[in-house]
Amino acid sequence: MTDDIRALTARLAEEPGSLAFLELAEALRRRGQLDAAYKVARGGLTRYPGLADAHDLMARVLSDQGDLAGAFDSWASALQLDPMRTSALKGIAFLYFKAGDPAAALAHLERALEVDPDDVSVRQAIGRVSGDVRRGGATASQTSEPPTGPTAFEPPESPPAPGPAAPVPQAPGPFDAVDGDRSGLLLVDAHGLRLAGRLRGADGDAAGDRVAAQLAGVSREAARATRLLGLGAWHAIAVESPDGHLVLTQASAETIVLAARDPSLPLGRVSMLADRAARSARTWLEAQG
Amino acid sequence: MTETQTALDRVTRVPGVRGALVIAAADGLVVAEQLMEDVDGQAVAALAGSLVLRLARTAESAGLGRPRFLHLRGDAGSVLAAPGADDLVLVAVVGPDANLGLARLELLEAAGRLA
Amino acid sequence: MKALEPWVVDPLETFLAESAARLTLLMTSSGQVVAQHGFSRSLDVMTAAALGAGIVASTEELARLTGAGRFEGLVHNGQRQSCLLAAFATPRGRWIGLVVFGPETSVGIVRLFFDQMVHQLVAAAPRELAPSAPMLAENFETELNASLKALFGR
Repeated sequence: MTDDIRALTARLAEEPGSLAFLELAEALRRRGQLDAAYKVARGGLTRYPGLADAHDLMARVLSDQGDLAGAFDSWASALQLDPMRTSALKGIAFLYFKAGDPAAALAHLERALEVDPDDVSVRQAIGRVSGDVRRGGATASQTSEPPTGPTAFEPPESPPAPGPAAPVPQAPGPFDAVDGDRSGLLLVDAHGLRLAGRLRGADGDAAGDRVAAQLAGVSREAARATRLLGLGAWHAIAVESPDGHLVLTQASAETIVLAARDPSLPLGRVSMLADRAARSARTWLEAQG
Repeated sequence: MTETQTALDRVTRVPGVRGALVIAAADGLVVAEQLMEDVDGQAVAALAGSLVLRLARTAESAGLGRPRFLHLRGDAGSVLAAPGADDLVLVAVVGPDANLGLARLELLEAAGRLA
Repeated sequence: MKALEPWVVDPLETFLAESAARLTLLMTSSGQVVAQHGFSRSLDVMTAAALGAGIVASTEELARLTGAGRFEGLVHNGQRQSCLLAAFATPRGRWIGLVVFGPETSVGIVRLFFDQMVHQLVAAAPRELAPSAPMLAENFETELNASLKALFGR
């Protein structure tokens, strides 16, 4: 299992009601794990029957599985919920093309082009399908080979998944400027993915991933709380527990730093450590561009 | 005076504290409150309850156990929270010049008495 | 999310983003569905609108009989999903909100941002007078069907 799928799985397990299923199912589909992708997409659809993204996702999975009728129904549902959804228009056009109806395919592609005139793939597909229409309907289903080549008409691909973030170089690291023990420091992005650092103990990386997954959206939630309560911008969150303390602080708009220490270190000192780690991470993030 | 009222009274006597509440964290609802006029109890309960639950999950994932004190620090003040028995949490909203150390001690002491 | 009138969109989108509600239905007390999020079938909207309007009418009558004035809202807590049903005044007349939410959020959060949405709707509503047809059973069904057709294109 890759890190991104593991992190997304952890996130979905922790927050079954979240929309993480969209990213997870798409990541599984892209890896060719179609049965797993189908199960995740099915679960998400059950929970969010009114979400056009979920129907669109299911259509892509079914299309990859070869269930073209099922894919058609799913794209039709996505369109019913969101008539401007170009991915669904392209998907249905692709299925009409495969079924030997280039005129219907062309009609859907033209609708997609009206919605997004800058979509180059739609223009290419229109060029390809128009030729078939002019030739009187020679279609993919009537040829022995599916269309290939640079102007071939292919099913729509989803946009790149938002996570995981760019690979993190091993050295220098975001906490290099922090003196002393750097374990127990984590840099986490807004999607709950661990960018760097690890927690203490043998299970450090896995625990770090679990904790990072819990922190998805925490920055937004903290900002919302301080804003609505008239407390301005948020700076830090400190948590004191029987077996240790942790402090969260922002390194950038999209990332937070977590510092965790055992309870022998006073909470105030953990806050100072978190501030230093955040400054160090900020410098590192700026250097990454 | 009930234990809850005593708890709220002790916390609100700390300099800089603008209000204290007992909330049901899972529902994000007010159980009891003692607030200055400009503090919205419904908003504090909802927002603090949500953050407390999320941070409790985070602390437990990190192997630190159930939190006993939380502090959200903003430009113009802070929210302090001390989970008590069951789902109850004692919450204080404090200004930027509050005595945080004293407020923390009072919250920890009072939260231990919540039933 | 779909709304019959454009000025409803921003307040409702903010509410959906902040509250993490799974399903939301806004309707007039005469059954016209103003906006919906999360419903995939018009039949579900029709049933929910009819039941919601009926429950609000019953509880408001109960409040009147018991001298309680008006109830602010009604929450049904479930194991997997809960439901908030609340009526509120707008410049376009009395509206009803029905919100279904799960354990990823809380009744406090939903209520907080529901109230915020109500304020925003009141501020955004065009001030021209709403039609004041009596709330008869036949009007209810006619208006409901008309709004469903507009929302679902059926």
